[in-house]
Order: sequence, then structure tokens, then C-alpha cells
Amino acid sequence: MATSRAASLLRLLAQLLLIFAIWFATDWFARAVHSPIPGSVIGLGAVLALLMSGLMPADTIRRGAEWLLAEMLLFFIPPCIAVVQFGTLFKAEGLPLIAVIGLGTLIVMAGTALVVDVVFRWEHRRRIRAKSRRRELAGVL
Amino acid sequence: MESSPLALISLVLTIAVYYGCKWLYRRHRRIWFAPILLAPLILGAIVLLAGIPYPVYNADARWLVWLLGPTTIAFAVPIYDQRDIIRRNPLTLTIGVIAGVVLGIGSSYLLSRLFQLPDEVTHSLLSRSVSTPFAVVATDAFGGSRELTSLFVVVTGVFGMAIGETVMRLLPLRSRMARGAMFGAASHGAGTAKAREIGDEEGVVASLTMTMAGIAMVLISPLLGAWL
Repeated sequence: MATSRAASLLRLLAQLLLIFAIWFATDWFARAVHSPIPGSVIGLGAVLALLMSGLMPADTIRRGAEWLLAEMLLFFIPPCIAVVQFGTLFKAEGLPLIAVIGLGTLIVMAGTALVVDVVFRWEHRRRIRAKSRRRELAGVL
Repeated sequence: MESSPLALISLVLTIAVYYGCKWLYRRHRRIWFAPILLAPLILGAIVLLAGIPYPVYNADARWLVWLLGPTTIAFAVPIYDQRDIIRRNPLTLTIGVIAGVVLGIGSSYLLSRLFQLPDEVTHSLLSRSVSTPFAVVATDAFGGSRELTSLFVVVTGVFGMAIGETVMRLLPLRSRMARGAMFGAASHGAGTAKAREIGDEEGVVASLTMTMAGIAMVLISPLLGAWL
């Protein structure tokens, strides 16, 4: 029991180190070629390509990736604390800020939902039509 | 900044408060116990009351922020896992992501102008609708502040969690995809967590939309940043 827990922890650490290594490599690459796309996003693309092509099994990094995604909130707490420095800004602009974020979130939510609903119905119908057409064709042959 | 005992204590405290809030939320699923809301509030109060200067607090805590880079790479795994949905509904997802990003940037920009917010604040608001690892990189290109953007992302997430279900009930939505996409596009990780509570498909679509919107935001930010 204790050994299997230690083994699982070691595996998590090894996978995290692998992801860090990929990040270092792609970050270095992005800097070297002055890429407008940051290294982390190049790394995301590279890993996705490796996974899709089957060159890298997902289990090689799954535990590490899922841990990072699950604990992501911890990583951006520190910059949120920085707002104690912006006290005067929030005294002056606090309410308009809340209004911008609140109304903005409402607009993005409602707008995206309505657009996706329309497009989904269209794409869904088209797929069903294509399927029935294939079936008709198969019937004729 | 030279590392000090206080800096190390701040780092340990940040981790302890975060896991404490997570434990509390697992036992009481109320929005005001959500770690995304409670953890920054508690820590902010501690830092303010104890009078810890931010540079001292951040001297060791910045190692946590460093992890946002590798976390971006980790997003490859959920995209890979959900490749079937991408193959089945490529158009719906793409248009959902475009709508989310355009509305996110557009609404932030126009509302900021309407309320006459200072430029630095406006630029820091533009990428607030996407997940933090992407938002802070995009905000660099927009000329915003990483700290302000991180905070705006958090407030956006909390807001989306709070109003999402009401919006969902008020709109005549017929597809699960629309319900998932709106959470992912408007309020990233926090919204995605809420979408998972509503249903599996909603959660998957929210997660995909969130990730793809983050990537799209980073990709267009240098173009838009040059124009701003």
C-alpha cells in the first residue's frame, strides 16, 4: 500500500518533470526565433501533435497534466493578491469595473449560447441528411 | 527581490489556504466557499492586515505563477481526449470559440470605453474571458498588466458561476452544446466546473471551448495588440 502510493507519487513527479522539460524547450525555442506565439502555446501544439499521431501515448503525461489542470487555481492566486497594491484604483473605479465585467460576462454567455445553438442545429441537420443520403445511395446500389 | 523568511511563510500560507478552501468546498458546495472566491479573499486580507509588502509576498510565491507555463502545455491532454467531439461538430465548436473571443474582447473594450476606464485597465480587461495561463500571455501583447488581468479573470469566473444557470434558463437553448459552450467561453475554468455539474456533455464542450478560446486569444493578441 505504502509502496504503491510512493510509486504513484514518483510517477506523477516524473510526468511533471517531463512537462517542465517540454516547456523549457519550447520556451527557449520561442525566444530564440522571436516567435510571436509564446513557447507554452507552441508546446501545447507540439504535445497535441505527438498525442494525435500516436507517437506519444497519452498515459506518458496524463497524470502530470491532470494534476496541473486540477491545481491551476493555486498558480494564479499570487497575482490576484497583487491588487492590494491597486487600492486607489478600486476605490476610484471599483463599481464601473464590476459593471464592465458583469455585463461583459453576460454578453459573452448569451451571445455564445445563441450562436452555438443555431450553428449546432444546422450542422446536426446537415450530418443527418448526409447520413440518410448515404443510406439511400447504398439502397440503390 | 531577496528571499526572506516572510516570503517563505507567505508561500506556505498560500498553499495552506488554497488546500483549506478546497477541503471546505468539497464539504459545502456553496458558491461563497468556492476556492476561486474564498482563497484570494482570505489571503488578500491576511497580506493586507499583516502589512506584508507585495514584493516580499511575491518573492517565493512567484514560483507558483511559473507553473502556469507548463499548465498551458497540459491542456493538450483534454483536447486529445475530446477529439471525437471536435470531429463530430467542428463547425459548431469553431464558431462558438470565435463568437466567445470576439464578444469577450469587444464587450470588454466597448464597456470600458463607455465607463471611461483608464487605458491600462481597459487593456488588462480584454483577455479576461479566457483561462489565466492564456489570459496573462495575451495581456502582455495587449499592453495590460498581468496582475490586473489575473484578478479580472477570477472575478469573471465567479460571475459566470453565479449567473450561468439563470442565463441558461432564460434563453431558449435546445442543444447541450450551447449550454456547455457558453460556460466555457464566458467564464473559463470556473464556468467549466459548473457545466460539469449540469451534465457530462456540457462539461466536455465547456472545457473544449475554454481551451480553444484561450489558444485563439493568444494567437490573435499580437495582431490586435499592434493595432491598439
